[in-house]
Amino acid sequence: MRKSIWILSVAASMVLALAVLPTVQKTRAAGPPTADVKIDNFNFTPATLTVKVGTQITWTNNDDIPHTVVSEDHTTFKSKVLDTGEKFTYTATKPGTYSYFCSIHPKMTGKLVVE
Amino acid sequence: MVLLNPFDPRAALLAKHAQHVVLVHFPIALFMAGVAFDFAAQWTKEATKRATLAAAARLNLFAAAICVVPTIATGIAAWQWQLEGQKLKGLLLLHLALGCASGLLICLVAWIRFRRRRVLGGALPGYCLLLEFLTAAVVALAAHVGGFLSGVNVSG
Repeated sequence: MRKSIWILSVAASMVLALAVLPTVQKTRAAGPPTADVKIDNFNFTPATLTVKVGTQITWTNNDDIPHTVVSEDHTTFKSKVLDTGEKFTYTATKPGTYSYFCSIHPKMTGKLVVE
Repeated sequence: MVLLNPFDPRAALLAKHAQHVVLVHFPIALFMAGVAFDFAAQWTKEATKRATLAAAARLNLFAAAICVVPTIATGIAAWQWQLEGQKLKGLLLLHLALGCASGLLICLVAWIRFRRRRVLGGALPGYCLLLEFLTAAVVALAAHVGGFLSGVNVSG
């Protein structure tokens, strides 16, 4: 009797685990929402990006020239110097409009709108 | 986009761009003009014209050496303030190295010219033109890399 209960418990645990596993995997694969900004020919594309709070934004430098991504207030986000192919990621945590620029080429500007 | 009046001194002095990209043209232009005058003096036979060209070269080289100081200072300031002193690599590091080498070479050429005039009565040593030519090449290379960094040398 004791043995049967033991076997039943193990079987029930396995069924439960199999039922829950796909959900966990799905959640992991989805992750936080993402958005991309490309740095091309001295421009941020798109120039204005609107995202939801929690979105992970990735800037990729596709230029042959180094660039940076620095928020106008110099504190919200600030990348290191990005050489060709390098990326910078920032997760939007607070709603608002954030203007940013490249500190090497201050004429290069963009806007991040977090809703 | 807000357009600035290029003739407004306040707008020019407080411009958002780095002053380095403005000042850098002065030592380059003065040094290149000085070298051109020196080469012209070398191939001029008439003594008065030759002396005049040599004097013009000397003055241009001195002025270039003086302009090197604010140019390097603003370049380093841009690195420290705009990039917050980040460790440089690639084109930025190459531009810094070539820029500093150019500045030192320009000052060395100006010093040799100054010393020659005071001590040896103005006769130009044989290696001086070669040094000027090499310095001009380093200056041109630094300017070329700087042009890429600023976006001037990029097509489109």
